[in-house]
Amino acid sequence: MHDDIEQIARRGLAAVVESDVAPADLDPAADMADTYGLTSLNKVLFLTSVCEEAEVSLAHFTEQDVARMRTLGDVTEALGKRQGTRV
Amino acid sequence: MTESVINHVVANPPGPDHRIRFIRLFGTESMTLRELHERAEKVAARLVALGVRPGDRIGILAANSLEWVLLDLAALRLKVVTAGFEPGKFTSDTALATRYDLRLIFTDKPDEQLDSLPINEVRTWSETSDGPVAPPPARYSADEPSTIKFTSGSTGTPKGLPASVGSIDSSITAVQEMFAHGPDDDIFIFLPLSLLQQRYWIYSALRYGHDVTVSTYEAAFATLGTARPTVVMGVPGFFDSARRHIEGRATQIAGDPAAARRAAAVKLFGDRIRYLWTGSAPADPDTLRFFTECALPIYEGYGLNETCIVSKNYPGHSRDGSVGRLLPGKQVIVDDDGVVSIRSDHPVSLAYAYAEPGDSERVFGPDGTVRTGDLGYMDADGYLYIRGRADDVIVLGNGRKVIVRPIEEKLKRSPAIEEAVVYCPTETYLVAVVSPATEPADEAAIEEHVDRINTMSAPDERIFRVVIARQRFSIDNDLLTAQFKPKRRRIFQAYRADMVRIQEDSHA
Repeated sequence: MHDDIEQIARRGLAAVVESDVAPADLDPAADMADTYGLTSLNKVLFLTSVCEEAEVSLAHFTEQDVARMRTLGDVTEALGKRQGTRV
Repeated sequence: MTESVINHVVANPPGPDHRIRFIRLFGTESMTLRELHERAEKVAARLVALGVRPGDRIGILAANSLEWVLLDLAALRLKVVTAGFEPGKFTSDTALATRYDLRLIFTDKPDEQLDSLPINEVRTWSETSDGPVAPPPARYSADEPSTIKFTSGSTGTPKGLPASVGSIDSSITAVQEMFAHGPDDDIFIFLPLSLLQQRYWIYSALRYGHDVTVSTYEAAFATLGTARPTVVMGVPGFFDSARRHIEGRATQIAGDPAAARRAAAVKLFGDRIRYLWTGSAPADPDTLRFFTECALPIYEGYGLNETCIVSKNYPGHSRDGSVGRLLPGKQVIVDDDGVVSIRSDHPVSLAYAYAEPGDSERVFGPDGTVRTGDLGYMDADGYLYIRGRADDVIVLGNGRKVIVRPIEEKLKRSPAIEEAVVYCPTETYLVAVVSPATEPADEAAIEEHVDRINTMSAPDERIFRVVIARQRFSIDNDLLTAQFKPKRRRIFQAYRADMVRIQEDSHA
């Protein structure tokens, strides 16, 4: 299940960071802001899109949870725990 | 002027028909504006019981919330001055209280509550029915401040800027005349309430009778579509991000591309948008055009912390490339160098507080006229155009003047460049300091982009050398303001040696 979310997250991040990095080349351990230039606004937009596609409700998370999601791996793990819980 | 908006809001409970909603990621809370008003009165009574008196100052360092709004309205009622601190930029400690003369600080940061009060107590105060009784509502004169804003400018620690009630009244009244917010409107705000202008729309709802929705920054994109506001207040960067999202989503929708973009825009913003509001930084003309073509009219305006809203495009009175017509009570003075100053019937302030000697004199005239440092002009029909910053003008050794903002805009069109600032360290050649979009920087792409721009530019406007920033510009490294604008002087100081070395190398 996490694999699906990881692919969705990779596509979502690649789409929002405005660079030529292919989804498969994104480093899941890299800080998304420092490495890929993800702004705070685009981070919110990215998470919104990924949650929508993965059918995970953003309502499961708090603003502090979002702040703690710094890497692609953080996103995959957090959403993976909530997959299939869209309300 | 008609009756003060602030005095009206403080003294008159609103009708029962309109609501305020508070949106966080995990849920939405809604209440009538009348209930909000009643609860703020209870909070005011508690503040008095804590010893807070008219003229005192309280600090609020918290994300957007019901508690934030209750404290603000309670302080207004008591003539207590609020100081809103942007989360992430300030820490609620004793030093903050001392530096800004704060009687109390309220915060939502549990680990910072040693020297402050947890803001969630405010909710409890507002829910208690047997608490103390609040004193009668205060009444303000136009020149009294109700709040203090903080402006980072291009260098140094934030300066204070007490904001007069007259300036708040005149701005809200003028906006109401232009946009006629009515019973069917619901204004969506998500930028920090520490920015005074975001609170205007709550005061507007209480005064004129419309709904208002207050979201956290993080929940805005996720909830806009279902919240179905009629107006969204955002900075240009927000609308740029929204545009890219809509363009991406539209490619997944079959059929006519323009219709697909409109459908994707409705999905993001909801189906009730009457208009979108932007300002505080120059908007990308392509983004403005994009939203207009998506049937979401977007209106750009102009103003500084020191001036409040100066001009605004609005329905039926909008012109491409301009920042709109002047609000009543504002006057633009353009000097011989093209630098814009703003005179206001009700100035925001006459000076900064907590500033270095000379800071105020550089910006404020004796009557509160503000030297903006922006270059601009008015057309024959009264529309204001801003061409750049006066300190963006470089005078070359050959006497020619170069306005660098358009060059910087061209540089930023490269996906490899996040931000760019152009200097002329020896009055001979232009040097760009660029903040790369990625780390490590895509040097080849940056170089290729600069070469392409240079081939299309006049000789004086060509970039002779590029310095790629070792670390991307950020608020944390103090190279961006809180509004994500580059701090020109700081960047110059940080990279002066690199620029000069490059110049020396190039002449070696």
